[in-house]
Amino acid sequence: MRLSRTLQVGLVLALPIIVYFAIFFVYPLALLFKEAFTTPAGVLALTNFQKMLADPVLLTTLQNTFFYFAGSLGLEFAVGFGVAILLYNYLGKFRTLFRTVIFIPLMVSPVVIGLMWVLLLDSQYGPIDYFIRLLGLQPLNFLGSLSLALPSIIVANAWEYSPFVFLIIYAGLQTVPQQLHEAAAVDGMSRFQAFRYVTFPSIRGVMLVAFLLDAIGVLKGFDLIYVITSGGPGYSTYILSFYAYKEAFVYFQTNYAAALSLLFLAIIAAFVAIVLKFTPVEEYLGIRRGKE
Amino acid sequence: MRRPSAMAVTVLVLLALVCLFYLFPVYWTLITSFKFGNEIFTYPPVIFPFSIDLANFFQPSTVAHATSQTAIGSLPWLIDSTVVAIVTTLVSTFLIAAPAAYSLVRFIRNVWLGRLILFMTMIPEVVFMVPFFLLVGEVNLLNSWWGLALVYVSFAAPFATWLMMGFFNEVPKTVEEAAEIDGLSPYQIFYRISLRLVTPGLIAALILCFISCWNELLYALILTYSPYPTGAETVPLFITSFLITDKSFAWGGLAAAGIFTMLPTIIMGIFAQRYLARGLTLGAVKG
Amino acid sequence: MSEVVIENLTKKFGNKTVLDGIDLKIDAREYFVLLGPSGSGKTTLLRLIAGLEDITSGSIFMGGRKVNDLSPRERNIAMVFQNYALYPHYSVYDNISLPLRVRHLSAATVREKVKEIAETLHIQDLLEKKPKQISGGEQQRVALARALVRDPSVFLLDEPLSNLDAKLRVEARAFLKRLQKELGITTIFVTHDQAEATTMATKIAVLNKGTIAQVDDPYQLYTMPNDVFTAGFVGSPGMNLVRGTAKKVGTEWQFNNDDMAVDLGGANLDGERQVIMGIRPEHIRLGKDGEGLECTVSNIEPLGSITLVTVNVGKTSLVVQLSGKTDLESGSPARFAFDTDGIILFGDPDGKRLRLTQGQA
Repeated sequence: MRLSRTLQVGLVLALPIIVYFAIFFVYPLALLFKEAFTTPAGVLALTNFQKMLADPVLLTTLQNTFFYFAGSLGLEFAVGFGVAILLYNYLGKFRTLFRTVIFIPLMVSPVVIGLMWVLLLDSQYGPIDYFIRLLGLQPLNFLGSLSLALPSIIVANAWEYSPFVFLIIYAGLQTVPQQLHEAAAVDGMSRFQAFRYVTFPSIRGVMLVAFLLDAIGVLKGFDLIYVITSGGPGYSTYILSFYAYKEAFVYFQTNYAAALSLLFLAIIAAFVAIVLKFTPVEEYLGIRRGKE
Repeated sequence: MRRPSAMAVTVLVLLALVCLFYLFPVYWTLITSFKFGNEIFTYPPVIFPFSIDLANFFQPSTVAHATSQTAIGSLPWLIDSTVVAIVTTLVSTFLIAAPAAYSLVRFIRNVWLGRLILFMTMIPEVVFMVPFFLLVGEVNLLNSWWGLALVYVSFAAPFATWLMMGFFNEVPKTVEEAAEIDGLSPYQIFYRISLRLVTPGLIAALILCFISCWNELLYALILTYSPYPTGAETVPLFITSFLITDKSFAWGGLAAAGIFTMLPTIIMGIFAQRYLARGLTLGAVKG
Repeated sequence: MSEVVIENLTKKFGNKTVLDGIDLKIDAREYFVLLGPSGSGKTTLLRLIAGLEDITSGSIFMGGRKVNDLSPRERNIAMVFQNYALYPHYSVYDNISLPLRVRHLSAATVREKVKEIAETLHIQDLLEKKPKQISGGEQQRVALARALVRDPSVFLLDEPLSNLDAKLRVEARAFLKRLQKELGITTIFVTHDQAEATTMATKIAVLNKGTIAQVDDPYQLYTMPNDVFTAGFVGSPGMNLVRGTAKKVGTEWQFNNDDMAVDLGGANLDGERQVIMGIRPEHIRLGKDGEGLECTVSNIEPLGSITLVTVNVGKTSLVVQLSGKTDLESGSPARFAFDTDGIILFGDPDGKRLRLTQGQA
């Protein structure tokens, strides 16, 4: 079977990734399926999935995951977007300084971020509760209360990821040609009108990309939960990834964990399918139909 | 100079608040690391420390149940992280991602393969933790650099490939055609011409890969159980060891550990900010 | 031997036919120009000759050898691209020497050859610089050097002068023409600029929408265009083209439309028919003693040694070329007469040139 020269070269170059793909994607995926459909006794059965349907922890976990996801995404995007707009409209001399400060969370490792927030949120010695006490209010037990733990995680997440959203949107804002703003000013638009009719439409694409990339980052969340709350108090900060981890490596229920992982994968796949609809892969690869 | 408008002042104030928001946690951790022993547990908590005590960085904290509870004691973990990160980064980028990306952009220009790569970058780590644990265990590479690196590469490679694809796409075809006419084979063109022309992209990929490896927690947690020289525990585990063991008393050391291990990534981040910005926004912003 | 023969070459991109049944013969040492507007297929044709695109059907022969399936390297050709395509990360020396180094020539040979070609092109002082440090004209010469250092049998150029400013372009034209003559390499040059083509070429192939309209030397192309397209494309200002009827009036033939009646002298036409009359601006002169047509001057463009006058005859607009200055004024009436020898008739609607007198083939 003689392949065309082009295909030949292409395959040789892609050989490392193909090999890696086979060993570290296909095989583990197969293994995952096998583990998920096996009982701890080694029998092939759907028990794990039946267990999932009746699992109250899973229900709480899914609720938490949804809340965590929506909350984090919303907050991060809002903050990142807002800061980008703010800095874009700021014309003073501290611009670079502000930008550098906003970059800081991006350079800190998630584990360290977790520990930072542990220190901050401590109800006895943390500064936040201290300020609350100064205001004469009852101190809030952030990490120990069922209702406040997950929101705390969400805020910590926002701290971690909003600069990322900021970066993308800020860069997008910079590509809007100055002349558009000048035309808007000449046309007599107020700042808000100019934003709504000129700036906003221009960055819609960028906003979408930022949103999608942000979503993917949030979905991967594990580190913060592990470091700050370990799923507690109770099950209030259990999200799907953490639950699977616990089942697998604390309770050694690898089969159930595999089933949970599959569930997670299914959710991701659905989400990614939506993402792919919006991503112009053709453009990225430089594929054009026919002659340009 | 005109009086600044109300809007300008509002913007400035808001920005200052934002900066406070981003700076305060770091500041707090920093000063906590400077407090030794009981100074941390005073009430009201000290916001502006009177003296800076670097003891937490160099001496064991008051509760001595692990010998390596200081910043300096983090050295074995640092070695592990460094080795694993470097190996992963080099293998993922040069060995796997660059040729694969070039192949996809110039030779095998298949949209579905491109989508597959994108899909693989978006899969969260947790999904494969059970299979990878079993796999690494099977080949007897638990608690070793190679085991960890092997797993890291499988996450870093698709991401690096995706990144490089965008950069290779920007290499002008005419330069490659000129090389073809000059008599270079496709491999020579890749190595001598195209690869050299995407250097900024390579550097972005290298840095992003390195930082991801450095910060990774889950698989380090699963696949290792002791630090160098017996094992391969990485820096994130060093920090979490403080948290798990004795939260209430090791805070000074904990804070110090946090600050200390933040330094490498901050230095890398500052140094390579321009490459990072380019890498992160590629594909997000046109032009 | 380095002649190039193209037989019935067709190129399709998907369903779109870009080149259709091209037949060409390019002799050795010829400076052959592919001339045509954008979209005519000239660059595609060049790239097929280079081996950068695959042939749909037909054949290309170089030096008698069929090269359809050969890679660019195996065809021993050299090419200069519109944007020069220099290797930005290599110095000028490395750019020029790369083709030689890939062929594993000794370092000494490489150095010698590079020096030689650099001196021929007057870039020997730039060898250590990087492409972005030198001017556009210098970059072009580096591209030429890289192409020529290998002694290729065929030299291909894809609009290499379009990125130069006007003055440099004129200098580069003369330079290239001299260089080609000196080195004697078969050269195929693509351009859309007809002035460039006529000043440099020994032979021109005019391309129109994927087919060859005419292949001739520049002078023949100018005086004896085969069809309306070529007549309008070659020459600046373009040939005047007017629609009408040619019919025999008494013993002589006459051209008629709503606006004018023009004597054609003798003609070898079969009968009355629809035609397009073509006449170049320099073949129209001021009418003496009431001869010629009544026209109204609409525009005057002084160009120094000549003046272009646009005149209206009824609804028809003509461009007239007069020597030196003119006293005519815009809006004023004037009489203009046609040089019968300069009139060319084309069939309408096919556009092909018709035999007019015995002198015209």
